[in-house]
Amino acid sequence: MAIEARGLTKVFKTGRRRARKRIDAVRDLDLVVADGERVAYIGPNGAGKSTSIKILTGLLHPTAGQATVLGLTPWEDRKRLARRIGTLFGQRSLLWLELTPRQSYRMLAAIYGLDRDDEPRRIAELGDLLDAVDLFDQPVRSLSLGQRMRCELTACLLHDPEILFLDEPTIGLDLVAKQRFRELLVRLNEQQGTTIFLTSHDVADIEHVARRAVVINHGEVIYDDEVAAMRRALLATKVVEVGLIAPIQAPLQAGVTVLEHTDQALRLVVDTHLTPIRVVLDELLDGPAVADVSVVDPPLEQVIAEIYERPAR
Amino acid sequence: MTRRAFVEAVRGASQRVVAEPGGLVVSLAFYLVIVAVLSGLWRVAVGTNDGNLAGYGAVALTWYIITSEAATVSIHTRLIADVGDDIGSGAIAVELLRPASVIGVRVATELGRTLPKLLVLWVAGGLMAAVVAGGPPRPLALLLAAPSLVLAVTANLIAQHGVAAAAFWLRDAGSAWFLYLKAVFITGGMIIPLELLPNGLERASLFLPFRAMAYAPARLAAGFVEPHLLLEQIGWIAVLAIGAVAVFGAGERRLQVVGG
Repeated sequence: MAIEARGLTKVFKTGRRRARKRIDAVRDLDLVVADGERVAYIGPNGAGKSTSIKILTGLLHPTAGQATVLGLTPWEDRKRLARRIGTLFGQRSLLWLELTPRQSYRMLAAIYGLDRDDEPRRIAELGDLLDAVDLFDQPVRSLSLGQRMRCELTACLLHDPEILFLDEPTIGLDLVAKQRFRELLVRLNEQQGTTIFLTSHDVADIEHVARRAVVINHGEVIYDDEVAAMRRALLATKVVEVGLIAPIQAPLQAGVTVLEHTDQALRLVVDTHLTPIRVVLDELLDGPAVADVSVVDPPLEQVIAEIYERPAR
Repeated sequence: MTRRAFVEAVRGASQRVVAEPGGLVVSLAFYLVIVAVLSGLWRVAVGTNDGNLAGYGAVALTWYIITSEAATVSIHTRLIADVGDDIGSGAIAVELLRPASVIGVRVATELGRTLPKLLVLWVAGGLMAAVVAGGPPRPLALLLAAPSLVLAVTANLIAQHGVAAAAFWLRDAGSAWFLYLKAVFITGGMIIPLELLPNGLERASLFLPFRAMAYAPARLAAGFVEPHLLLEQIGWIAVLAIGAVAVFGAGERRLQVVGG
């Protein structure tokens, strides 16, 4: 098992004496992640994501509960665990900014005790995988953010970690760089079996990288399922977009809401709990006026926003 | 921390200084101005005291100043504040997630950053001293001063990291930085040989680690063949290392419990 947490709790106490406040950052968190999974660990700001990741990587002691990561207790075996996990925390660089990435890799290889003979091979291998070889001899400061993130990921993978903890890894990247970064993560997982544990506010990161989503809010897990299932099960609504060659009357079944209606187009939202989508489609297609129909899921942002509103499990 | 990691950290940081010599040039210019002014003042002071001040002649004091200043100017000026900022901002977390001593890697990196500067400054200062005052009072003592300089910057770097660790509790090491620099200025013998301090202060400096950071190599370069100063420096390095590792370790544990 890659990660196993039971009843994990972290309470912070701030202020002094009468002004003392108690903040329950993580509350009784249960979480199991199998080897090779790609998990999105998401939640609104202040939900407890970063605190729980800090506990799972050994940076913080929990107030209560137990956790093992790769069989080790993170806060007791931080340095041993560090040899087996990779971490990438948003804008916090793993590289020495004044050096070239290759010089940083040499330092990291020494710190992680990589075999001297293996080191150049490993750097070259990752350079190929991440398409970053050409960047390794430029000063880190001169790299674009997208290029730097590829070099950061190389640094993170140098010691062949079994789990990658990624906290907002695509923040600040442009669209192309984000897409490329996501593809790299998926490729890494598929080719090397690396477990991916990702937090992000970017829904596309979740959609393109993760297979499973764990949603946390107020320090508690409020949802845990496949990303596809989350979309399917949680919002039983579909958006129907219809192209018309002649005007028609919009369907009037219960749960059907018209978003847009012109002579050429019709957009509906259908609550499939009230009316099955087939019933709506049958009515629309029963006549010669429809040129084209598409049924799409609502945007994942909407699904996630709805989950954030839910009470704990 | 393994020897290989230490060597790589020193090497990587040294390469950085050599690859970007701009900072080195600025430090050199600053250093030459400072040593020109201070050594000039000391030569005047010696001249008005029959050519001798507590056993130091004009040439000896010039070599004293070029060495004490090289030992201190070669170190990154804002080191305590920068380390403190990294602790206070939580940037240190990335380093805590490596299987190596945070303070070990940091000290090694700073040592790599300091050594090329130290070499350039001391050689330039030595040339200047030879031109304006005369050659080294005792060349043999210079052979002792060279390793003593390396020990001096090592002691200073370790101590600065230990002081910067205050940021684990205070969030800001800025005030500690100010106090520390003043202590090195005075009780470290950076601008004035300890023998010239008032008696009480001179005695107090005997029991403080700052003398290992400037006075020891400077006194050797001034022609006093006193090898015990190197042993004293090694002793202080051991004490400072134990202290700094303990403070940093306590800070890390606090971070683990209280959060960052």
